[in-house]
Amino acid sequence: MMDILFLLLASFAIGGALGMVLFHQPVHSALSLILCIIALSGLFALLSASFLFMVQIIVYAGAIITLLIFIIMFLNVKEANLPKEPHKNITLFLGSLGLIPLNILILRAFYKLPSSFVEKNDNFGDIKPLGMELFEHWLLPFELISILLLVALIGAVVFGRKEEA
Amino acid sequence: MIAGSLFSYIVVAMLLLSIGLLGVISRKNIFVIYMSIELMLNAINLIFIALGRHHHSMSGHIMAMMVIAIAAAEAAVFLSLIVVLYRRKKSLDSDIFRSLSQKESL
Repeated sequence: MMDILFLLLASFAIGGALGMVLFHQPVHSALSLILCIIALSGLFALLSASFLFMVQIIVYAGAIITLLIFIIMFLNVKEANLPKEPHKNITLFLGSLGLIPLNILILRAFYKLPSSFVEKNDNFGDIKPLGMELFEHWLLPFELISILLLVALIGAVVFGRKEEA
Repeated sequence: MIAGSLFSYIVVAMLLLSIGLLGVISRKNIFVIYMSIELMLNAINLIFIALGRHHHSMSGHIMAMMVIAIAAAEAAVFLSLIVVLYRRKKSLDSDIFRSLSQKESL
């Protein structure tokens, strides 16, 4: 049962990612990226990361990609303003050939690891142990993240302002 | 026994990472480049969470959460940059934005 679910989610994730790279219109790419991200959140749930499953759906599919689609619709890009990519398929094919050695290297390194997961029946991946870990060992990075978000907010406002002549 | 092994998750994550890298190096639309970066961050998240499950420690989850927060910050800045660039040049072609390039700008 878990295997069927895993294969289904993995094929949806990879299919969504391929669609994102191959589609010409940015809206189609964004919609297939949403498919890929929701399938990935299912994979997180299979890895018993229930809190990150929710965070992935809420933050990625709910906020980031929605913002992206909003911007795409806001810009109202015509077909003439899209870049023409006459050699897209050739560069994609050559690039995928070039990426094979990297994949072989990393997958061989991981193949040596012991492969099956330890089965323990505690509340691994729930919100409470994650919060305990976060505020016991990772307090300073957590606070720095808030500063980073503030800086990004100010930067986005400064970039988005209409410049005076 | 596919869903219970670390290696299958790593295979999926590496495929997603390769597709993202492929999108960055071979597409010209800056929206697709941005989405490919997001996809690569997601693939790294999957590796973090699979390794956290493998070692039965929560640190992988914490790292994945940090990556999600950084991706949110990156989304805001990148999308406002895209808006500014599109307002100036009326195009989404990443080859047009080359006024900082050392080659002669077209």
